[in-house]
Amino acid sequence: MGKVNYQHKICVVIPAYNEAKVIRHVVHSVNQAFSKIKYEAKIIVIDDGSSDDTAKEAQTGGADVIQHIINSGAGSATATGLRFAELENFDIAVTMDGDGQHTPKDVIRGVDEIIRTKADLLIGSRLLNSNGMSSVKVLGNKGLSMITYLLFSINSTDSQSGLRVFSRNALEQLRWETSGYEFCSEMLWRAKQLGLNIQEYPIQAIYTEYSKTKGQNNWNGINIVKSLIKRRLSELFA
Amino acid sequence: MSRYLLLFLLNLPFIIASMVSAVVSYKLGNSSKRRLKFQMLMWTIILVGLAAAKPLYEWLFSNNLTQSEPLSLFDVVQITGIVTVFYIANRTRTKLETLERQTHDLHQELSIRLFKDRKSK
Repeated sequence: MGKVNYQHKICVVIPAYNEAKVIRHVVHSVNQAFSKIKYEAKIIVIDDGSSDDTAKEAQTGGADVIQHIINSGAGSATATGLRFAELENFDIAVTMDGDGQHTPKDVIRGVDEIIRTKADLLIGSRLLNSNGMSSVKVLGNKGLSMITYLLFSINSTDSQSGLRVFSRNALEQLRWETSGYEFCSEMLWRAKQLGLNIQEYPIQAIYTEYSKTKGQNNWNGINIVKSLIKRRLSELFA
Repeated sequence: MSRYLLLFLLNLPFIIASMVSAVVSYKLGNSSKRRLKFQMLMWTIILVGLAAAKPLYEWLFSNNLTQSEPLSLFDVVQITGIVTVFYIANRTRTKLETLERQTHDLHQELSIRLFKDRKSK
């Protein structure tokens, strides 16, 4: 087993769009969790052109906020956050959702895991233990993971998870082109093309009434599938 | 002048222009080798199809595989129109993809730079 080195510089990237109701709590809880351990962590919220007070609330919670001038999608916001982490020479970056569905404990566990396993990309899978997840969400996520497998031959139990941990190597190499939620699958595909070491670890997802109304629903899943097929075909022929 | 020759000569500039821009785009690092191969293959098929239109028609006709009339002047105009539209659509798609990527990169860098400027004040 690799030894955890607390000298690593960690960047927690939280893409957020109209999350003013919860973002302060999310940032605060991650800040609290990291202050109790020895990692040096910076929390960056990417406000993806929100029309509410997301940026202000995130700053109050203790995060630095990069503001997108226009709303560009979750994939684009995540790319901005990871690009910042790369430019600022962070060793490890973690992305998590801004709706509060991920626990700070799982974020820290992901950092420990990526150091221990020396993976390049670590996916926090909600489906390795899907307790508390509605059967509709389980079905939707499993369906998208299956489509990701059929299109890109990537075997992931939760291809749509927002909690992901990136090594420095992944930060420097990994790029994707889609800007919406479909980036989750495309990112795995690009990582596979680059020969990066992709691994998974189980995480717990917290579904509140608020988080149930946010994120992807199964109808949005159809758009994701359409976009992924388009991307796959365009790459196949061009 | 033969209508088949006219058809070939009218479409040749579009095919050459497309092939040249595919090679230039690849050499400048704006497109992948796979894209270059696909573009060259596609335009070569169109070129061969147009160059061999007459023998192809005659072969099909003599083998009772088609009953259509020989190439008319209207057919020449119509096929040239289709190739032109295809050429324009192909160029537009390439330009759109480049613009999309540039806009995305610009937005990203601008957001980060604005953040750094705000922090340094």
